Amino acid sequence: MRRLAAALLLALALGSCSKPDHRTHLYLQRFFGECGAQYGGSTDIAKAEGECGIITAMVNRFNAENPDIHVDVNVVAWPGYPQLTAQVAARDPPDLVTMHEGVISDYALKGLLEPVDGYLKIGGVDEKDFTEAARAGVTINGHAYGLPWDTHGGLFHVNTALFAKAGLMRGGKPVLPNTAEEMIAQARQFERRTGKPYLLQSNVGDPAFAARNLYTYMMAQGAVLFPDAHHIRLNTPIGVAVAKFFRQLNTERLGTQNMDTPAAIAAFISGEGGIYPTGTWMIGSFQQEATTPGRPLYNSYAVFPYPRLWGAHVEYVSGHSWVVPTRERTPQQKQAIARFFKFMAAHNYDWARTGHIPAFKSVLADPRFKALPHRGDIAPLADIGRPLPSNVQRQNAIEGIVGEEAAAAFTGQKTIERGLADAERRVNDLLAEVD
Amino acid sequence: MAARVRPNGMTPLAWLALGLAALIMVAPLLWTVLLSLKHNADLVGHSGAALRPPYTLENYGAIFGNSLTLRWLLNSTIVAIGQTAGVLILASLAGYAFARLEFPLRRTLFVIVLLGLAVPSQAVILPQHQLFAWLHLHNSYPGLILPGLVAPFGVFFMTTYMRGIPKELDEAAMLDGASRWTIFWKIIVPLTMPAQSTLAVFTFLGAWNDYWWPLISATRSDMYTLTVGLAAAQMNYAQTSGLGYLMAQAVFASVPIFIVYIIFQKQIVRAMAGAAVR
Repeated sequence: MRRLAAALLLALALGSCSKPDHRTHLYLQRFFGECGAQYGGSTDIAKAEGECGIITAMVNRFNAENPDIHVDVNVVAWPGYPQLTAQVAARDPPDLVTMHEGVISDYALKGLLEPVDGYLKIGGVDEKDFTEAARAGVTINGHAYGLPWDTHGGLFHVNTALFAKAGLMRGGKPVLPNTAEEMIAQARQFERRTGKPYLLQSNVGDPAFAARNLYTYMMAQGAVLFPDAHHIRLNTPIGVAVAKFFRQLNTERLGTQNMDTPAAIAAFISGEGGIYPTGTWMIGSFQQEATTPGRPLYNSYAVFPYPRLWGAHVEYVSGHSWVVPTRERTPQQKQAIARFFKFMAAHNYDWARTGHIPAFKSVLADPRFKALPHRGDIAPLADIGRPLPSNVQRQNAIEGIVGEEAAAAFTGQKTIERGLADAERRVNDLLAEVD
Repeated sequence: MAARVRPNGMTPLAWLALGLAALIMVAPLLWTVLLSLKHNADLVGHSGAALRPPYTLENYGAIFGNSLTLRWLLNSTIVAIGQTAGVLILASLAGYAFARLEFPLRRTLFVIVLLGLAVPSQAVILPQHQLFAWLHLHNSYPGLILPGLVAPFGVFFMTTYMRGIPKELDEAAMLDGASRWTIFWKIIVPLTMPAQSTLAVFTFLGAWNDYWWPLISATRSDMYTLTVGLAAAQMNYAQTSGLGYLMAQAVFASVPIFIVYIIFQKQIVRAMAGAAVR
């Protein structure tokens, strides 16, 4: 017994004699899931696939290339803001956090995020290289509050085999409409010739879908969605015109009804519709289907930004960024953050393999990026992309309200005027409670 | 013609109805298991692919490939057992006091405890979070266990049960010279075992399934409970591109609950039927 106790004490003593750690630690918090089983030890970014795989390999590589720094990763359930808010309230926020650009204002305007201009300067990251969409997404009152990492927004994912059957292919490319009337006409032609819906719509449980459509086509017509930081304006002749257009598509059964996101994705992959308007993040999955023989989408996939139907060719977008929550840090930690930013900016091409649009002009012009499937077609999103005004807070919650009410107006659950008025009232009530 | 009745009193029609009801109950569970045994890619287009082989254990392999999964399992076990033990001790002591002892403001205090049943945990989450931050208890086992010990239902449950035990037993023990503690420990507690086990099962299940408090209190991944950890491990579009993995997570997280149910099914059924409260 005594021997056993002595052995246990010895083991405890040896276990407590760990090697002193002189590295500078950064605490990074991110979403995108956990894939340690596949990529936990990988530093080969080029071989990593998907958002989770690529970010995991990137951080591993950073740690390997910077032996004096160690980035400790905390993976949170998407989108991670309840946890971040709790950490901020407990005065123990991380050093680096992934944040959607539309959420930055919620934290930055309360002084909970540091401006990162200094880190960018120390790291040698040229802000002039940011794309317009990326710059607008992270800039508040003239300061960058995050390292922009990508731009993501809606795209028209097209089944080219069905488009060919509908007689809507020219020179190997799908013919997309240039006006609202043209889109209705093409949708009717498509439905008549293929017997399938022109649009696959995830109107159920996906408020971002309807909000994206309304924002995009109101912005295109020059509408000012937010006359100030505390008010939204949707129930206008422009808003009504956009809603009437989508209502007509639904009334004529040119778009699917009652589909949620998984159902719409499954329908598109199964060749059950012409266009699925969804985000950049689905390119990888759809491209995989398009390169797998025997699948309904095999050799039948193309993707483009939302077409210009009215006014200017602009589109509502958001993006991912890296932000730095406010807290005390050592000079070494500040240097480490700057080096992390430099590393991430230098590997923005690798992240663009996920399907998201790069945040840097130089990457957009990079032949490697242009050589990726469909990237030449979707690259204009970096120029035409417009985020919501950076001084408007609660953009996520607003999107939820607007999407819910817009979907009700588009599908006929509410009258158009009622849906838009309800959206305005609910958003304005919400913004009235914001400081 | 009268329906043929079997020795156990069940007619074939009743058996058929029972079988059909059982099938309806089991179908979602079976569907979950089948989905968990398929490659994610096979399910993207049609979840109906789950009905056809080939099947694989790769999704379960991915769960265990994450080095923190067993840690999360351990955390959940510690938190669930800690809360269960704490609730049983506190609820039994409080129940005994309310059921047997005379002290000032007893009725008022009991009403205050009952009012606790009407306060949803979300209503107090902000001050509770601030308090635990002030005490530096976030990202710790006490931080995860302590809020669960506030159990008005447990106190009410044990009080009601103990009131049903004849006071003559206490009086006889007192005549034999037993102290209050001896009466509580050697007479009352053994007689409340059915209620104790019922309360234990409900507390354990509640603690195991809790998501909201661990989500905001355990913000470091090594302190996640299983529910939070598995949610964090999901990709953004798990319901489409990672459906098999998502379902494997659901099955994996349910297994301990299933085991608890198998062991304590008698108590659970009795509690559901209200038979544990006399």
